[in-house]
Amino acid sequence: MRRRLVAAASAALVLGLAACTGGGGSDPTPTADDTQAPGSAESLTIGEISFPASFDVNGYSIAHYVQYFNAVFDTLVRQDGDGEIVPGLATEWAYDEARTTLTLTLRDDVTFTDGTPFNADAVVANVENFQASSTPDLSNAQYISDVTAVDDTHVQFTLSAPDPMLLTWFTGSLGFEASPASLTSPDVATNPVGSGPYVLDADATVIGSTYVFTKNPDYWDDSYVVYDTLTINYYETLTALLNAIQGGQVDVATFQDVTSLDQVEAAGYTLNTSQLDWSGLIFYDRDGTVDEALGDVRVRQAINYAFDRETILDVIQLGHGTATSQTFGEATGGYLPELDSYYDYDPDKARDLLAEAGYGDGLELVMPTMSALNQDLLTAIQQQLADIGITVTLTDTGANFITDLLGGKFTSSWLQLASAKDWQYAQLALVPNATFNMFGNESDDLAPLFTAMQSGTDEEAAAAAQDVNRYLVEEAWFAPFFRIDNFYVSKPGYSVTMAADNVTPYLYLIQPAS
Amino acid sequence: MLRFLARRVASGLAMLVAISTVAYLLIYLAGTDIARNLLGQNASEEAVAARAAELGLDRPLLERFIDWVSGAVRGDLGTSWFSGAPVTDLVTSRLGVTLSLVVLSTLLVAVIATVVGVLAAVRRGWVDRVLQVVSLVGAAIPNYLVALLLVTILAIQLQWFEPTGYVRPEVSLSGWAMSITLPVVALIISAIAAVAQQVRGSMIDGLRQDYVRTLRSRGLPEWRVIYLHVLRNAAGPALSVLALLFVGLLGGAVVIEQVFAIPGLGSLSVSTTTQGDVPVIMGVVVVVAIIVLIVNLAIDLLQGWLNPKARLS
Repeated sequence: MRRRLVAAASAALVLGLAACTGGGGSDPTPTADDTQAPGSAESLTIGEISFPASFDVNGYSIAHYVQYFNAVFDTLVRQDGDGEIVPGLATEWAYDEARTTLTLTLRDDVTFTDGTPFNADAVVANVENFQASSTPDLSNAQYISDVTAVDDTHVQFTLSAPDPMLLTWFTGSLGFEASPASLTSPDVATNPVGSGPYVLDADATVIGSTYVFTKNPDYWDDSYVVYDTLTINYYETLTALLNAIQGGQVDVATFQDVTSLDQVEAAGYTLNTSQLDWSGLIFYDRDGTVDEALGDVRVRQAINYAFDRETILDVIQLGHGTATSQTFGEATGGYLPELDSYYDYDPDKARDLLAEAGYGDGLELVMPTMSALNQDLLTAIQQQLADIGITVTLTDTGANFITDLLGGKFTSSWLQLASAKDWQYAQLALVPNATFNMFGNESDDLAPLFTAMQSGTDEEAAAAAQDVNRYLVEEAWFAPFFRIDNFYVSKPGYSVTMAADNVTPYLYLIQPAS
Repeated sequence: MLRFLARRVASGLAMLVAISTVAYLLIYLAGTDIARNLLGQNASEEAVAARAAELGLDRPLLERFIDWVSGAVRGDLGTSWFSGAPVTDLVTSRLGVTLSLVVLSTLLVAVIATVVGVLAAVRRGWVDRVLQVVSLVGAAIPNYLVALLLVTILAIQLQWFEPTGYVRPEVSLSGWAMSITLPVVALIISAIAAVAQQVRGSMIDGLRQDYVRTLRSRGLPEWRVIYLHVLRNAAGPALSVLALLFVGLLGGAVVIEQVFAIPGLGSLSVSTTTQGDVPVIMGVVVVVAIIVLIVNLAIDLLQGWLNPKARLS
């Protein structure tokens, strides 16, 4: 009898565990959609390498996260594939002459999925919520000193200074419009309420794995196709994503592994490309405050001449990119084609410049590294600089790579920066208080140009950006290697228009091919 | 029996406390800048400090741990610092997925390894020699490599299975079976050999015992001698190996879940550990620890049933 009790107890324990099996988990395996007709609007399955920390304002909502947010939230304005601002929830916009007052005209036929009407008060609530949050994109609203609902369909922004990027920010994190009632909801992070084309299916969604959305039946915009269901699958490893692509389980996907592009194409997918980022060296201490050598333009120019950019591009990116000597991207107003080849590969000239600057015996640079960086690229940097007499010592920063850089611990480093919009790039890396201008470098030549970029007309701003670009290249503020090809793959039957300023297309830029 | 259970439960609880404490310490010793992970690399130092204060990261470690423990004993494991989702929801939504992989793998290993081990012990000869070789090969190949081979050949090239994903059994039983076949095979290949070796060794020892000769001399059918007597006595060590195997499979599931993009506890623990999402990490630790303790308790009870002498220890 006792034995039977013991056996029953142990069996019960095991069965208790087994009873937990099978529960949870995602909805059916991401479908290969082989039965769905090409060009159909039944479903769209996206493969992604990131998932949103949360759906509230405090998390990342652009770059690889933007499609999750595009699904449930509309933005005040949108971008077309050329980066031009087009209507969204706002149909018209106008600046005053000083460009410090922006008035948006809003649609009057939009309702959030909780029944709350979209209006100017909703915009005000969202902007104020954004400004009060700890969103990583808080700087997008830095120039907004006041936002007022003029009436139901007009909202006015008062700026402390002109912001050429403001309308662009309204296509992303600053522009996502959530129902005001949801902003203070305890489940705002997991239960987004917007007016967007889809509604999050919380039951079918597994946070951190699979996000399932169903079509918003009351969606106001019929100018583009909204699929019946949208599934965004997160793949932790590139191997798993590649397997899913080869198995036809995703319709479109972000894909950055250049070594596997042949396999993706062999699986029948189209490679859609854009160039947003440049990769290369940044000289933070251009005044030579800490590192006297970097204060000499001849040293910085010498470093530029030391790199065989084409070879580095072939080896590191398998040729997927464009060798360049400038950091302004092709989509910017400041881009000048002739500057791509300003510095050719000339190690002899590099050595002559170093000798002229008094560093004929060589010099040492200390740069940061971390395990996540491309070690082959760093090795190439060391080798090619060693060839002209510069010794690069790499210091492992562990998980504090960016923190140490921003803290001014290094006078130069390799980095990859986005450069798709002039003023955005200037604020990121160029103006005296730019994020990656830690030593606060400035110049009397650049100051008026930055003013023009910020406050001028579009034409004046573009012209000023070009002058800035020339200055940066001639003064060798950077030693860029190449612009990086950014890939987004798609099955036949899906038409993808790459975004001008985002690594993934905005959701409304992915349509049935028909 | 009750005293035996009470002793095991008490020691299990003590283990749980110890595991939780060590895990909590290790998380913070890792030095992850959690607030910066939340806000991004471009966030200002002031914003990072403010978020750290909001999360209580500026409070003493002991104080934070006591807060967590006081919530955990009430069943409140907190909310994710990153997603805002309740930890309980996050963990329970994935627990069944991982358990379905690991429990099924363990059961399959137990059955197959027993059959193979008994055959090797009874037949000896070429069966035994093949088992030796297969054990060596199985132990040498990492299960993630097996997983990649299975995906490449059976899923991508032959298209017999989907390469990634998981289907809940309540949605489709056949879909569930198809979706876990490759992951389970990847998990059990090396494990079968190890357990079969254990069964083989114990069976060979058992078959040499005097009582076996006595049983045979009494005219018992050979299958009764082997399966009802010798195997029962030989099962004890194999059960211990199975308990260890279960824990090993839980760890192996982490890699397998990543390869097959399965939304289980393994993939959750990887992503949250990288982020430094302490509430979720601790939730996973507690749940996994409880599962391991339950399994070990079950094995102990089975051991006691199989071998009355074990109940006295």
